[in-house]
Amino acid sequence: MAEPSGGVHVTDVTKNSVGAKSEPNELVQPDIAGGSRGDEIIIPVYWNIARTLGKRLVELAFLLFVISTVLFFALRLTGDPAAVLAGETGDAEQLALIRAQYGLDKPIIIQYLIFLGKVAVLDFGTSLANAQDALGLVLERLPTSFTLVIIAFSANLIVAIPLGAWLGGRPDQRLRKGASTMVFIAQGIPGYITGLILIQIFAVELRWLPSIGNQGPLSWLMPAFTLASFQAPQVIRVISANVAEAMREDYIRTARANGAGFQTLLWRHALKNAMLGATALIGTQVAFLLSGSIITEVIFAWPGLGRLLVTSVQTLDFPVVQAAVFMISIFVYTAITLTDIVFLFIDPRLRRQRA
Amino acid sequence: MSIVEEVAPSASPVPETGERVLRVNDLVVEFPRPDRSGFRAVNGVDIELRRGETLGIVGESGSGKTMIALSLLGIVPLPGKIIEGTISLRGRRIDNLPPREIRKVRGNDIGIVFQDPMTGLNPVRTVGSQLMESALRHNNLSRREAEERAFKALDDVGIPAARERLKAYPHELSGGLRQRVMIALALINHPSVIVADEPTTALDATIQAQILDLFRLRLARSTMILITHDLGVAAEICDRIAVMYAGRIVETGTIEDVLSNPRHPYTVGLLAAVPKFDVRRPKLVPIPGQPPTADDVVRGCAFSPRCSFATPECEERPLLEDRGGRPVACWHPRGSGV
Ligand SMILES: Nc1ncnc2c1ncn2[C@@H]1O[C@H](COP(=O)(O)OP(=O)(O)OP(=O)(O)O)[C@@H](O)[C@H]1O
Ligand SMILES: [Mg+2]
Repeated sequence: MAEPSGGVHVTDVTKNSVGAKSEPNELVQPDIAGGSRGDEIIIPVYWNIARTLGKRLVELAFLLFVISTVLFFALRLTGDPAAVLAGETGDAEQLALIRAQYGLDKPIIIQYLIFLGKVAVLDFGTSLANAQDALGLVLERLPTSFTLVIIAFSANLIVAIPLGAWLGGRPDQRLRKGASTMVFIAQGIPGYITGLILIQIFAVELRWLPSIGNQGPLSWLMPAFTLASFQAPQVIRVISANVAEAMREDYIRTARANGAGFQTLLWRHALKNAMLGATALIGTQVAFLLSGSIITEVIFAWPGLGRLLVTSVQTLDFPVVQAAVFMISIFVYTAITLTDIVFLFIDPRLRRQRA
Repeated sequence: MSIVEEVAPSASPVPETGERVLRVNDLVVEFPRPDRSGFRAVNGVDIELRRGETLGIVGESGSGKTMIALSLLGIVPLPGKIIEGTISLRGRRIDNLPPREIRKVRGNDIGIVFQDPMTGLNPVRTVGSQLMESALRHNNLSRREAEERAFKALDDVGIPAARERLKAYPHELSGGLRQRVMIALALINHPSVIVADEPTTALDATIQAQILDLFRLRLARSTMILITHDLGVAAEICDRIAVMYAGRIVETGTIEDVLSNPRHPYTVGLLAAVPKFDVRRPKLVPIPGQPPTADDVVRGCAFSPRCSFATPECEERPLLEDRGGRPVACWHPRGSGV
């Protein structure tokens, strides 16, 4: 990561002069010479963050361009927006009128360029279904979706990280072996099954929880659990495997040799190292929570972005589909970028570097 | 107070009568084997360490040196176990302490330096936090005091700019500096016994010399067990030396006696293998043949299959006893008795 650049060279020079100054000191104490080698380059963390952000922004712009293009042509191939607008009763005259009104009579390439121009200023047009602003519709749904995503994600972390660490601490113990097996099985259960089982038990049989819609905190429980239930097992397994591996490392032996007890070894020494490997997974999970919540939102009739996307695709409401996919892409990229930045903070080896 | 006692290098007469700090009696460390009796990585070892004395333990790879070191702290890796013997530190048994008590000994009464400084420090925690963790655990200190002590510890082992190094992560330090950090970590609580398990083996030659100087000049008066492959290192630093073979001590004595008048054929072999052109820096060079492995059944003297002086008598195991002035475990000791 630390390929030389102008800035680094400047640092290098300063470091060398510091090294030179310390030489007389080494002559005074020849027995401890060689400690300072004056060859360390500290790269400030913001430099790395700026680099990461810049790289991701360029990638995101390119990605959005590609996605918009693909969606534009894919949607045009699968249906005729004019027909959707005209409804089932529309005759040829009406269709022609609508085409002219929406510019659908122009050559497809011109339409595409106009479309791109509008996307560039975040103008996706109005919903074909109810003439509302497409982006507005999407943004309106975001908070509802985010509620679900944030609850699911927090539950995931709060449960999965400690449980994973606990399982990985002594993987040979019988109790933990049993728990690991259950985690493994849980991972194989599809989300919609979990959702349906939950509805059957808590909404239909016990009537404790509302089964559909967003009706306040109680109604968040089941969809959030469903969403978390197929992500948490992955995190648990990665953390426990990483913790188990970390517990065999030399630095654990060092800490033990200095009197650290099991809990210290586990939580203060092994877990942080284990988190390095799990961060990539967790980041990816966040990225796909929003899009992955589609099934959950459908099952629980959750008025979020996922369900909006499904309905819009079904009704060929192109502007809304475009806007929704656009927002999801931005969200995914934001999550991935945040993960990169979190990495820079938790792994000192990425942050600063010896040269 | 400095954690390393400053002392002129030559002014260290062997304290024959110093207080006995550490005593190991008939230590046996066993690793279970699936279908037969366990493999004894350490097989009946006695050690006595007096205040201010440095005992060297030398021997080929696999002879059980590290297991002895780990036994002292009660951290023999599973499934290995101490199955016999006693370990006493200043008259107090420490081999049978409950977990809570033995943890107070680790890093506090006995400090250990491991071989590989590259992997021995936690990569995601700063040097300072690792030092402070140990200082805080064993002493009633504020965070500030602990930080001060960590700084002192780094400074004492000759780390330049110690204050800034507290904030450094291990990967930001060179191998030599990291080993100094490991030494500082072992010394931070002023342990009464220091164990150094091949502290220079993983370093390149020039850095080795610097770390050795640290031991030779700064730790000369410490009560220490130094495990090494390098007879030259032992000659420079140790007062006494114990030669190990296949889990047992086969010869022991003052460093001068053993090096100038080796009596066990294995020791003779070790010294004979030293290149003549570099007598100052004799290194262990392999002797023909292989030491017994965990799969071998050892009867009698474990060295006899490789020994050119072996006789049928050697099928019975010779005890480590005084044979002409010095303890040797051999029926046919070489050199001259007194
Ligand atoms: N987990 C284990 N299971 C079985 N045997 C083991 C295990 N760990 C160590 N041993 C055995 O214990 C014996 C002593 O090992 P030890 O590490 O003490 O040797 P050593 O003298 O320190 O060697 P080296 O010079 O290579 O460090 C070795 O023969 C090794 O095979
Ligand atoms: Mg060893």
